Amino acid sequence: MCEGGCKGAAKGRPDMKPVYPRAASYPQYAGLVDRKNAQVDRQVFVSDAVYQAELQQIFARAWLFLAHESQIPNPGDFIRTSMGEDDVIVVRQRDKSVKAFLNSCPHRGNRVCMVDAGTKARGFICNYHGWSFGIDGALRGTDGKVYEKDQSFEKAQIGLTPVAQIDSYKGLIFATFDPDAPSLAEYLGPFTWYMDIMLDNDPEGTEFVGGAIKSEIDCNWKFPAENFVGDILHAFWTHQSGAQAILGGGVDLGSRYDELAFQASVYGHGIETNLDKVGNTRTLGYPELVDYVFDLSEKAKDRLGELRARAIGAVSSCTVFPNFSFLPGQNTFRVWHPRGPGKIELVVWTLVNKSAPEHIKEQYRKGVMMTFSPGGVFEMDDGENWEYSTRVNQGFVTRQQPLHYALGLESADLERDLPGHVHKGSLNDANQRLFYTRWAEFMEYDNWTDLQSGETAPPQKKAVEAAE
Amino acid sequence: MLDLLNIAKPFADMDTPVDAETERAVCRWLYAEARFLDAERYQDWLEGFIDPEIHYWMPDMETRRRDDPRGTFSYGEAAYFDDNLPELTIRVKRYNEPSAWADNPATRHAHLISNIEVNATDDPSLLAVCSAFTNVRNRNEADQDIIHGRREDVLRKVEGGFRLLRRRVFIVQNVLLSKNLNTFF
Amino acid sequence: MMIELCDSSAIGEGEILRVDVDDFPAIAVARHEGALYVFPDRCPHADESLAEGWLEDGRVVCGVHFAEFELGTGAVHNPPVGCPNLSFFKCEDRDGKVFATLAGGPVNV
Repeated sequence: MCEGGCKGAAKGRPDMKPVYPRAASYPQYAGLVDRKNAQVDRQVFVSDAVYQAELQQIFARAWLFLAHESQIPNPGDFIRTSMGEDDVIVVRQRDKSVKAFLNSCPHRGNRVCMVDAGTKARGFICNYHGWSFGIDGALRGTDGKVYEKDQSFEKAQIGLTPVAQIDSYKGLIFATFDPDAPSLAEYLGPFTWYMDIMLDNDPEGTEFVGGAIKSEIDCNWKFPAENFVGDILHAFWTHQSGAQAILGGGVDLGSRYDELAFQASVYGHGIETNLDKVGNTRTLGYPELVDYVFDLSEKAKDRLGELRARAIGAVSSCTVFPNFSFLPGQNTFRVWHPRGPGKIELVVWTLVNKSAPEHIKEQYRKGVMMTFSPGGVFEMDDGENWEYSTRVNQGFVTRQQPLHYALGLESADLERDLPGHVHKGSLNDANQRLFYTRWAEFMEYDNWTDLQSGETAPPQKKAVEAAE
Repeated sequence: MLDLLNIAKPFADMDTPVDAETERAVCRWLYAEARFLDAERYQDWLEGFIDPEIHYWMPDMETRRRDDPRGTFSYGEAAYFDDNLPELTIRVKRYNEPSAWADNPATRHAHLISNIEVNATDDPSLLAVCSAFTNVRNRNEADQDIIHGRREDVLRKVEGGFRLLRRRVFIVQNVLLSKNLNTFF
Repeated sequence: MMIELCDSSAIGEGEILRVDVDDFPAIAVARHEGALYVFPDRCPHADESLAEGWLEDGRVVCGVHFAEFELGTGAVHNPPVGCPNLSFFKCEDRDGKVFATLAGGPVNV
């Protein structure tokens, strides 16, 4: 408590300024990722100490996905979500900007918003003592007449804690708790070139349709994140039954696979894709959607070029580090919120082009439900794999055993002129290695200069060419 | 279209109970259906209990303020099931694959049905049936998922019994506290 | 006796203006569908300024706990526990100036 000598608070008035935690350095945890031997120590999936370090080093610093602009079109529209384990309210302001705050009253800490979402909120009132906050997060007043007459109380100093930075990229809103984090554009880097496959294949942009489906899986958050960053391999085995049910055949990686498929990674964000145009879209089970994507792919050539236009509906998957993933073509977007080392809350949305006809939007909504929701014929079989990959490590001896992440060690593609670290073929652990390398960078570095210039930073193509 | 076939609409007052004999027949039908689902006889369920014009809907339940006009769920938004017969058939096809790993080894199911109310409707061939359920799944050693909820069914009278024409399933969970839904309700 | 508060042109349609008058607590002046309303700039519940709230569907909304007061009758809707109705001062627009009877406190008009 301040005894009068400090700035910004009168004598006896507590300093209520937001606190943004500082990062530390945990080289011992960074060392759990063995880059030389392409192995990951299983401690990273079960240790509570490692998990607490993740909350500090990763989730309190990285830009995290919050919402799609279309979910909160009007002033006062809001959704509640999480950044790591921190509960957050995301609100559209009267000037059309978006703000996000911790969902915690600065008085006793209770949540001020109990619901999933709402429209045209006037503000948020804490149920405990009636402290009332505007949609801008500022304290408007309290219950009754007590505080206003108390000399310890300075209303203008108190409010919901805002995120340190908030920004959006082509409809997707992200935020970070780190005032020192680089801009969202810098954080994503040239990976936006790949995100545009979904976000910018049509001039009118995108929107989320329907609401969100939320479910719990008893797994470490990194298993689904690494799965989407570059594990198409699992589809053959895990999802054989779903593919049979919908397509009447096994999983097919699409035409000209050997020639066209690749993985790309930037700062740990990663995409694996073939360029077969509609491989993912076909699995939604509606022939009209396949026609729509073929047509879209033709039209998008001008905007995206031939290569990316072929990826709109192709067999592919993607993770934006740390925990935001999507499937091009199947249009499912999701966040794997950490809930301890052994649990996640999965939130799933469906993305469509705004310009798509209503019946196409409806087929995407139903197609995602039939495939990548908890009752979907593909997602049905993912959860148990991730749960047991996590749970077996309770075994003391089991968790001493190495894990193999070495597929495709010699597959770097130095010729293809694409952004990021590019590897040949999508059946490859390359992106997963880079995902864990990025994880280790976050554990090791306490500053963004090092974070943005490590091994996962996009290679300088020109320098590589010159060196050869 | 009859209001009671509009998937977005709840039943009006359940104030026209059927006679005891019809009610008994509907109860028997509901228990038999539960027994088929317990036994994972999904193909038989489709063939013996489901009407070709089935609409099977289980919406996502949101937490909303009481004064929010949207309410807890809304037709056309996120759902776990929003199926017609071909779509239910796809789900059943997956169960029938030997590589449906979330069902191999087999899940142990118990469908408990209660709070049954059977009402006559304006259409003599259709019955409005409300019930509550407990859906228990247990897998492997100790993986247990229990889901409670309510159903609002429209049954069509057919030769020798009934067919499920419409089902609205409302679970009490917001975040689904299960990794998947390898079951029907 | 009526006291001059401000120019009536200072209050746009749908706006609430706070006016400070010597010897009286702060006053709020609002305009809805052309008509003027004058009331204490103090929510009867929690001492908060109503001028910092807004007008909505013919009601003054307190920006703190969102109690709504009907313009004219003062009847409260959506009140926090213990929040009474709002009262108004007699007022009129004389040659472009807002006048109100403040002495004796607000009476419902």
